[in-house]
Amino acid sequence: MSDQPVTNLSESRPALSWGAVTGSWLPAAILLLATIVVWEAVVRIFAISAFIIPAPSEIAQSLVAQWGTLMQATLVTAGEILFGFLVSIVVGIAIALVIVRFDWLGRALYPLVVLFQNVPKVALAPIFILWFGYGLAPKIGLILVIAFFPVTLSMLAGMQSVDRSLLSLMNSVGASPTQILFRIRVPHSLPNLMAGTKIAATLSVIGAIVGEFAGASDGLGYVIQFASTQLDTALVFAALLLVSVLGIGFYYAAEVLERIIVPWAPKFSHA
Amino acid sequence: MRVETIRAAGSRPADIRHDDLISAKGVSVVMTRQLVLQNIDLSISKGSFVSLIGPSGCGKSTLLKVLAGLVNPTSGSVSIAGLSPVEAARKRMIGLVFQDANLLPWKNAVDNASMLLSIADESLSRADLRACGHEMLELVGLGDSAHKRPHELSGGMRQRVAIARALALDPAVLLMDEPFGALDAITRDSMGQSLLEIWQRTGKTIVLVTHSIDEAIHLSRHVHVMGIKPGRITGSLDIGLPYPRDLSLEEDPQFVRLLVQLRTMLRASHKPGGAS
Repeated sequence: MSDQPVTNLSESRPALSWGAVTGSWLPAAILLLATIVVWEAVVRIFAISAFIIPAPSEIAQSLVAQWGTLMQATLVTAGEILFGFLVSIVVGIAIALVIVRFDWLGRALYPLVVLFQNVPKVALAPIFILWFGYGLAPKIGLILVIAFFPVTLSMLAGMQSVDRSLLSLMNSVGASPTQILFRIRVPHSLPNLMAGTKIAATLSVIGAIVGEFAGASDGLGYVIQFASTQLDTALVFAALLLVSVLGIGFYYAAEVLERIIVPWAPKFSHA
Repeated sequence: MRVETIRAAGSRPADIRHDDLISAKGVSVVMTRQLVLQNIDLSISKGSFVSLIGPSGCGKSTLLKVLAGLVNPTSGSVSIAGLSPVEAARKRMIGLVFQDANLLPWKNAVDNASMLLSIADESLSRADLRACGHEMLELVGLGDSAHKRPHELSGGMRQRVAIARALALDPAVLLMDEPFGALDAITRDSMGQSLLEIWQRTGKTIVLVTHSIDEAIHLSRHVHVMGIKPGRITGSLDIGLPYPRDLSLEEDPQFVRLLVQLRTMLRASHKPGGAS
């Protein structure tokens, strides 16, 4: 009896306004703004040297001053990410399909895929430079080896989680493995696949930057490396900011794609 | 002793008669070294409505899968109109309904209803499939929800689509494994009533696996009671109540008598036993 009013209180509280506030972008924006203000203040008050931690205002100045160079580098990196991301999706899906459709091949391939996943991919960057030179190819290769895995894994999980009794229904009317694959397993896996694709989008950004670190004459990764050798930390941060913007852009592009491709996914059902 | 008396009163002859659509002879199933079904003899005449009832683990779902050709008996034989269950299934003679409707969430009700038919007969055009899907949805009372996706349908409505999907094959036999098991009592009642109407309109032979004594008596013409360890048929009961039946049946003294009788048989079937 005594704990009943307490329960009521704790239930009524979130209903007031917290739900509405936390659900919006407002708290994040406030925190971001506060961080920038504190950052600026700390750098100014303690007179921290710009090559150690540049103030947000200095980063902004650098961004404006180097706008042309930065935009050009952003375009190069964005191209690498987009290309590498698409190749990762195609290859990731292909591997998943082969594993599910051809049982013996799957049993051969799957352990190797998992084994390969445990190779530190970043360490492959110098080898890729050695093999493919300084152009686009080593970046695509690096993004591919970093980003295909979540695509393959998520799609596999989706294709293998089809309900047994649904498979029984299909078998009872004599459905072929290919029919079951394309009419049931693949569409069933799409919500999972889209989740994997979003992870791949984020990993693609990392792959591109690592590829540029290892050897490039252009792109945001190159700008970061070059600027840090010049102790132009403000420019490093400006480039980092653009990398983050790219990352967010690709992530949300994948999310928009998800809403278009799998409008039936559970998370959208009750929206 | 009491079971024996009831069985003597209510059992049907085990020999196969001419109008038997489904007949199982000496069917045993061994799975992972366990005797799941022991020496099942079953004959179901065309147009009949038969329920299999029994405690969990009595193998009633496995028996249904044997009839559907999804599980091969370790020994014994099953024939459906003279064909093996797998052959019968390929000829679209078997419609299956499980506890979970298992609708495809990316397809609307019509396309779900015609989904199995589209695989069973690839020569059918999209328009034919749609037409058939619509017709089946009308039959199960979902004519006006044709374009809804599964997540927009209630549990009972989803199960109606699953029944429509099975009927779209125009099967001779409808095999149903606890189709209303996940539904609330009231929905269950109305689904049972609809199933009876569908049965009477289409003349399908229906085999229903159920946990519910009420449901078994309410719907079926014959009830087979199954026992555990090993899974076997321990008794059979004819439900002599006339069709059409509705919910007022429960006030019928004969219904109550059958209820008591079946409950007694079920209680006995819960005890593990040998070949008796």
